[in-house]
Amino acid sequence: MYKKLYNLFSSTRLTIFLFFAIAATSILGTLIQQGLPIERYEQIYSQRVFSVMGFFDIFDMYHSWWFTLLLVLLSINIIACTLRQIPRIIRLTSSGKNPTDDEIFAASRTIKTWHSNRDIEALELQATKILTSLAKTPVHTKKDNTEYFFAEKGKTSRWGMILVHVSVLFILAGGMIGMIWGYSGQIILVEGESADTFSLFSGKGTKELGFDIICNHFSVDFYKTGMPKRYKTDLTIVDQGKEVMTGAITVNHPLHYKGLKFCQATYGIADTSSFQVAAENTVTGEKTVLTLDKMKKKPLPNSEIYFAVAKLLPDYKGRGPGVLGVLIEPDKAHDIFWIFKDKQTQRGAFAFRLKDYDKAYYTGIQVSKNPGTPFVRAGFIFMITGFILSLFFTHTRIWLRIRDTQKGHEISVVANASKNQKAFKEKIQGLAGRFQGDEF
Amino acid sequence: MINDTFLVSITTFVYFFSAFVFLISYIFKKKSAEKIALVSTVAGMAIHTAALICRWIHSYQMGIGHAPLSNFYESMVFFSWSLVFIYLVTRKQDTNNLGGILATFFSFLILAYTTLSPNVDCQIQPLIPALQSNWLTSHVITCFFAYACFAIAFGLSILYLLKRTKSKKGIIALLPDAAVLDEATYNMISLGFVLLTLGIITGAAWAENAWGRYWGWDPKETWSLITWLIYGAFLHARITKGWKGIRMSLVSILGFTAVIFTYLGVNYILSGLHSYL
Ligand code: HEM
Repeated sequence: MYKKLYNLFSSTRLTIFLFFAIAATSILGTLIQQGLPIERYEQIYSQRVFSVMGFFDIFDMYHSWWFTLLLVLLSINIIACTLRQIPRIIRLTSSGKNPTDDEIFAASRTIKTWHSNRDIEALELQATKILTSLAKTPVHTKKDNTEYFFAEKGKTSRWGMILVHVSVLFILAGGMIGMIWGYSGQIILVEGESADTFSLFSGKGTKELGFDIICNHFSVDFYKTGMPKRYKTDLTIVDQGKEVMTGAITVNHPLHYKGLKFCQATYGIADTSSFQVAAENTVTGEKTVLTLDKMKKKPLPNSEIYFAVAKLLPDYKGRGPGVLGVLIEPDKAHDIFWIFKDKQTQRGAFAFRLKDYDKAYYTGIQVSKNPGTPFVRAGFIFMITGFILSLFFTHTRIWLRIRDTQKGHEISVVANASKNQKAFKEKIQGLAGRFQGDEF
Repeated sequence: MINDTFLVSITTFVYFFSAFVFLISYIFKKKSAEKIALVSTVAGMAIHTAALICRWIHSYQMGIGHAPLSNFYESMVFFSWSLVFIYLVTRKQDTNNLGGILATFFSFLILAYTTLSPNVDCQIQPLIPALQSNWLTSHVITCFFAYACFAIAFGLSILYLLKRTKSKKGIIALLPDAAVLDEATYNMISLGFVLLTLGIITGAAWAENAWGRYWGWDPKETWSLITWLIYGAFLHARITKGWKGIRMSLVSILGFTAVIFTYLGVNYILSGLHSYL
């Protein structure tokens, strides 16, 4: 029973099944949008479908119990498989330990055998020469008048694949750790503001930073097309009253402090922007300039009407900046309209024009903690190292035996390579041929 | 400054010529034709590379300097460059110039579509801040190298199926043994798998810097994982189970379908964070 289970878990049949299972189910999550508010799904699907999907966590399927189970099974599969492979690799890489094993020279494995009448010292010298040309330190052993030579190269390459497999465990473990103990959220700051908490994504409330983070300065550069080119927040971190760190974050260049990572995520126009709007009463000819904060209404002169600015667009459809104005008249619905710099907008008795505005940006900083990061990073490095080991290096082994027979000294050569076996054997055959012809 | 799109047009013709001459050398087994095709491929590659460099310099002159790997047009041009590059690098293992025919012909098709289609905008566009990253550049390069390997493997698998199903007639009879095609497919897929692994790792490193997370299961990421798993299954089946033949060539074709879906389908059919490419 135990044996059967072990065989199942160390089989590549299971690996292939899991690979296809993970691939096939992953498709689902790319077709059904993940992580929307749950009410949205209730609207889209009928009650029956919704409850089935809910049971299988289809709306957050990559974190569901069954998807996690697939990944856990894959991990067990890798562990079992690696444990099974290690003895084999130890065997393959320790062939130098029993150099006098005659089984190695079984006829089926020997790539060349011949007889020579030259004296043994000359043959020894040649054998050593030939093996040294292939690997640094050949092992030479004598037993019962028989001479054994062994040389090998690139032993570590055999461990490359083990490293690749183990690296997957690291990455999966890092992912799990991040899923369980990691969190992330956002801080919105206007120049000069500071924060000691941040709001978690997915509406799970706020969390203490344990220190203060101050936004000293925010700046943004634009391309000629109006597309943002670079935005940057200058930050200072104050921990227990001491300024411990000052630095800048831009997109792709985060800052780290106490295991937290600060990424420049977004920016926008803050509510603290103030606007100057010129309002002209076209009946009386009276002109005024209103200075307004966003969403704060002010009365228009000599009337019962209030005016407010609801929103600013730095570039309204290529026309330059536009603000959304709101007229609030007693017993009437709000009148909402755009106001620009280049032209007046007429509403009733008044004509409005945007005179100027004092735009304040806010910066959106993503805060995240992921204790799985070191594992994932180690996994990446192991994986690449493993591939390099097994791709660019080959484990090659050569055995050579000289023994006395009636026909003179019999020389046998055996060769083995972990890759490109055929080419390597041909090469050794060529060398052995030169040895035989005394050309070496 | 020379117009890079003009150089790309020339390249398109040169690759067509190379594919044609490779085909001739394949059918008539002429060494001299092979030499001509090879010289022409290398020349095409040189012009193609010049086009990439011109475009790169040009973007700096426009004040929006970045490697030419940032929009759909640029990625298609680079994809075809990768095809020929991978072919030239792995040429020693090529049999009967099949890799040469496939690589130059696919490159020609991609470039012809890119230059002729009105849907492909060849303007140099500025880069939004998230895309200004060396990780991203490495990511794009390794992924397209991988895609190139998989494209050649896909072509070989199709030839394999042709060979197995109707081996007696005409041009197909000239194809090398099914076993040789099978081996060549496997070699291309192993190389592609390593490159795709590198591509996913560099992509994850980029995501970690730009968005503070390695992996967010957005559709593009997920589809690249699906592709990786399909080819991973291929390699394990082949190495540990010794699976060969029609079954394996179907997996190779399935894998390439996933590649195409990752590259195009996700953008045009699904939406996601990567929607710029
Ligand atoms: C995500 C997980 C895995 C990855 C990325 C992976 C990757 C690889 C790669 C790249 C190869 C080499 C293929 C080649 O040489 O062309 C390989 C070989 C192999 N894998 Fe995996 N593998 C995974 C899981 C597993 C599991 C779970 C098993 C166990 C059942 C397994 C068993 C093997 C074996 C036995 C070999 C052949 C090793 C050799 O020839 O030295 N792999 N794997």
